[in-house]
Amino acid sequence: MKDGGVMKGLSVTDLRVEFYTDDGIVKAVDGVDFTVRPGVRTGFVGESGSGKTTTALALMGMIEPPGRVVSGQADLDGLDILSLTEEEFRQQRLATVSYIPQGAMNSLNPVARIETQILDGMADHGHHLRGSEAADRVAELLAQVDLPPNVGRMYPHELSGGMKQRACIAISIALGPRLLIADEPTSALDVITQRRVMETLGKVQETIGSSLILIGHDMGLMAQFVDEMMVMRDGKVVEHGDVADIFGSPEHAYTRQLIDAVPSLQRKPAAAPISSPRQDRPTDTPLLELDNVGKTYRKGRSRIEALKPLSFRLDGNKPRVIAVVGQSGSGKTTLGSLVLGFETVTQGTVRFDGENILRPGKDATSRFRREVQAIFQDPYASYNPFYKVDHVLSVPLRNFGVARGREEALGHMVEACHSVGLEPAQTIHRYAHQMSGGQRQRLMVGRAIMLKPRLLVADEPVSMVDASLRSIILGNLATMKAELGASVIYITHDLATAYEVADYVLVLHKGRVVEAGVPETVIGDPRHPYTKLLVDSIPWPDPNRHWGAGGTLDEEFAAVAQADLSEPTIIRDEVAGFQLGQGWTG
Amino acid sequence: MRILQRLLMMVVIIWIAASINFLMPRLSDRNPVEEMIAASMGESGGTMEGIEEAVADFERRFGMDRPLWVQYANTVYDAMTFDLGISISYFPDRVSTLVLQALPWTMGVMLTTTLLAFVIGTPLGALTVWPRAPKWVNAVVPIVMILAAIPFYLIGLILIYVFASRLSWLPTGKGYASGLLPDWSWTFAQSVLTHAVLPAMSILLASIGIWALSMRGMMVTVQGEDYMVFAKAKGLKGSRRFWRYGVRNAIAPQVTALVLTLANVVTGAVLVERVFSYPGLGSLLYQAILLNDYYLIFGCVYMLVLTVGFSLMVLDLVYPLIDPRIRTSVTD
Repeated sequence: MKDGGVMKGLSVTDLRVEFYTDDGIVKAVDGVDFTVRPGVRTGFVGESGSGKTTTALALMGMIEPPGRVVSGQADLDGLDILSLTEEEFRQQRLATVSYIPQGAMNSLNPVARIETQILDGMADHGHHLRGSEAADRVAELLAQVDLPPNVGRMYPHELSGGMKQRACIAISIALGPRLLIADEPTSALDVITQRRVMETLGKVQETIGSSLILIGHDMGLMAQFVDEMMVMRDGKVVEHGDVADIFGSPEHAYTRQLIDAVPSLQRKPAAAPISSPRQDRPTDTPLLELDNVGKTYRKGRSRIEALKPLSFRLDGNKPRVIAVVGQSGSGKTTLGSLVLGFETVTQGTVRFDGENILRPGKDATSRFRREVQAIFQDPYASYNPFYKVDHVLSVPLRNFGVARGREEALGHMVEACHSVGLEPAQTIHRYAHQMSGGQRQRLMVGRAIMLKPRLLVADEPVSMVDASLRSIILGNLATMKAELGASVIYITHDLATAYEVADYVLVLHKGRVVEAGVPETVIGDPRHPYTKLLVDSIPWPDPNRHWGAGGTLDEEFAAVAQADLSEPTIIRDEVAGFQLGQGWTG
Repeated sequence: MRILQRLLMMVVIIWIAASINFLMPRLSDRNPVEEMIAASMGESGGTMEGIEEAVADFERRFGMDRPLWVQYANTVYDAMTFDLGISISYFPDRVSTLVLQALPWTMGVMLTTTLLAFVIGTPLGALTVWPRAPKWVNAVVPIVMILAAIPFYLIGLILIYVFASRLSWLPTGKGYASGLLPDWSWTFAQSVLTHAVLPAMSILLASIGIWALSMRGMMVTVQGEDYMVFAKAKGLKGSRRFWRYGVRNAIAPQVTALVLTLANVVTGAVLVERVFSYPGLGSLLYQAILLNDYYLIFGCVYMLVLTVGFSLMVLDLVYPLIDPRIRTSVTD
């Protein structure tokens, strides 16, 4: 809330940013013009490398060498911010232009309290608050983002992902900036937390009356949140206009493509025919069987029941994709770890091919490790940075005796790369850090395919990659099912992708399956209040279908809280080859 | 509760280390008493007659004729009461007296230089990867890095050659000038200081670069963190970003290293003390090992064990202050 200065908004003309690399000059932003009117929300959309983040960083004066702003003006309420010196620009950051970072997980200083991180920014802009004055201001800012005042005394690690992101918003609005730039503020959050954070952000922006730029690749989120949208590709603006107009009739084919890449419940791809069902196993033993499996964590004297006793049988004769859907803390990752044998059950038994995975018979361990493969969320953390890709791929080949000799191993590796659409020559002799996040994740899928598993546990495999890659990786999963006859346990917080790939959906809430059935009924017509909340929080790529069709977030939370936790699972329908049960002894 | 647990841990560590320290010199087949007596008899020009009886007599007085477990029990009891017995080589001086005499010399030079090297080296290392660091950093850092690669006793020898032998600005060695008696006079203090300059410099020059090097590595990692980007986006001043966001987050492993180094200060840089004939614990330990003086070795090493145990406990208690993430996991 600045006084003085004319509120004209932001007007950028001919912005060019170049990066000087070994391979020559990269024009990251190539002659971009746009305006952001006061109080308007504009979305910058595009895939990674489109220049959307670079444009925003230029507006923050934060292009670092080897990058350079080559030309352009950015007039913010009468001040050409691009002509400022480094120190002048520093004074404008936070005061006039504020940035809400991507990946709030690591954006807060881990060793400083939240209040310190709010006040230090103010102090460096001449607002030295002390004592009760400081405490009041911190509480006021936290209240604006719906956080209780005691959060000020906390450290980042004591906050959940959504709370951290809201703390970041509180920090960036401390001086009432005229322009807020939010860079994929909800990229790692589940849909419900995302909805809450975006509601907070919208409310705050209206309160301080600033303009807002939302950077992202999620067309659904754009449709829900922004007024205007600017589609970028290769450093150029492809399309800019009112969000309803763009969704209604996208002028550019690329925009159409982005909209179509959003998994949508309206379109379900036809199931690929299963070409080679595996006939090489006895039909009476289920592939995977969970018999009354539960997990309780003890923390001091308190007990946390991460997974309440759950039983199911996955036959494996017909490959199935079973989606386990829930928020963080729902127990879905615990379920995955129990199936993989990474964690020991507190009660019950997990059997793979009839063998208790915790007490496997002779040779069973090696077979289990080979026939059950896993893909994890973070394609950065899944690799040992010291080894090249060929090592990552050849170790399992050698350990499981899949390939004898280098030639044969190489053949398998080449095949693995092809199976996920990677060029083997450009992949096998690289280090993990030389590949993009999407390439790494695809290679992880390729690695799993290479071992021809019978069961794949995929824990949030697409939550960290952008839309077009998401459909490629989900396609790979479908291929595994169709061509290898492998069943998949697909763990996700994203109902839309579950709808797309799953044969059966389990909705997990507080360690319990609250609703189960085929995606069309569970997601298309949810019964349980929690499933409803999840479905209502999906950002639809349709500006006319708003979040909260089923009530406000608070109303829906109240309904979930009222739901009886001891109530049995609402089983909507059955699917052949998968049985959800009350526990049996096999 | 936590402090109690740590204290217990410390006692156990000290006990185990002290036991090893008790056994090691006794595994040697040398007899220190015999060597001592033979040497002194040789010096006084006496004959070797009656040496057996003299040795046996001394051994009885030192308790070395008793079974090993009795000796062990005695040693444990002595260690607990901090009575470390009588030195064989400096007979009849008590070990505790010898150790306490040497301790201030070592602590004075080693403690000061280690802390100084840490305080200078750490920010210097951090500055090497800070984009807008002052220009002189780029000139100074390569020099300290090169010095870090040279063993400090060698630097000591060079310093002696240049500043003591050629230029005669400073004394070549010893703790103070030989004509003086230790007292609280200005002349004595001055003598102590001038004698400490070269040993201190040799350690300082050799270790600043090591602190700088390890800090540099950590700072590179921290620089890539998202919170550093957000700190800049918040419009924070450079100095706050450097100290409160950068150094503050990179420093934890440095502090661990500092505490472990401080723990070893007590035995000093044995070689440096030898090079400068400095009357510290390092020299004392060296003497004790040369003569296989069980009691003196035990005394020196016991001192080391005590400080290591104590430092580790302090580190455990201090660490949560450095990293709040440890604080909560501890209370859980």
